Amino acid sequence: MIDSKEASAALADIDDIVQRVKQSQLYELASLAAIWWGILVFAGNLVTWLWPVYAVYAWVAVDVVGVVGLVALRLFNPPHHPQGAAFDIRLLLVFVLFFAFGYLCTNVLGHFGPRQLGAFWPLYFMLFYMLAGLWFGYAFVAIGLGISALTLIGFFTIGEAFPLWMAFVNGGGLILGGLWMRRI
Amino acid sequence: MAEFDDIIHQPLRLKIMAALNALPVSAGLEFSRLKKLTGATDGNLGAHIETLAKAGYVTVNKAFVGKKPQTTVTVTAAGRGAFARHVATLQEIIAGKQG
Repeated sequence: MIDSKEASAALADIDDIVQRVKQSQLYELASLAAIWWGILVFAGNLVTWLWPVYAVYAWVAVDVVGVVGLVALRLFNPPHHPQGAAFDIRLLLVFVLFFAFGYLCTNVLGHFGPRQLGAFWPLYFMLFYMLAGLWFGYAFVAIGLGISALTLIGFFTIGEAFPLWMAFVNGGGLILGGLWMRRI
Repeated sequence: MAEFDDIIHQPLRLKIMAALNALPVSAGLEFSRLKKLTGATDGNLGAHIETLAKAGYVTVNKAFVGKKPQTTVTVTAAGRGAFARHVATLQEIIAGKQG
């Protein structure tokens, strides 16, 4: 038989491993979402660079397909408790608020050009990534910081090829970040 | 009074059981994932999984995904019960009812 100190240590070990399992499951789901958005964002930026006239349509398509994909991902991977099996409408509300506030900033309070838009949305998206990371794991913070820094570097230093830069930085960054999350 | 389980209490086996018990019923963990979560070596992890399997606490499923072999470990109903009882025992020891 063991004493209370050893029993406490054993329970602490159990708590630690349970947290690691939960984080591992969260990273697995988040990695799929990151890869999904990464592919779409890569395509959106590529269209913006090659055919700027179609950029607005491309980004609407990216946003709609992206959100639908995330909702589907959530439906196919429900939380592992009985109450969580039903779809949570708050997920959709998060996206509505996210895009509404972004639109307010870029089209009502300010009038952003294509270049500013190309930098604003990734920085705005990554801000949420980093904030989420403070609760859910350092990988979100690292990915958010990396993409934000590279976005700003490109914004201030890259010329006409900025959308191409963003295809690799934002799209490629999310894909690589998603793959990295699966390994940690 | 709950019972102390020597099979589960070994530190690595406790981690294996805790990790598997945190999953939904019938879900398992791949060997490589379990190795990463517990920080164990291949040989050590394999030996302790075998001990748990012999006790009827876990099942081991070996399959091929493409050409790659994949081993998945899943906790059994008996394993979940034993783990719950063991945790209850640990809590009783801390509360001063045993030990």
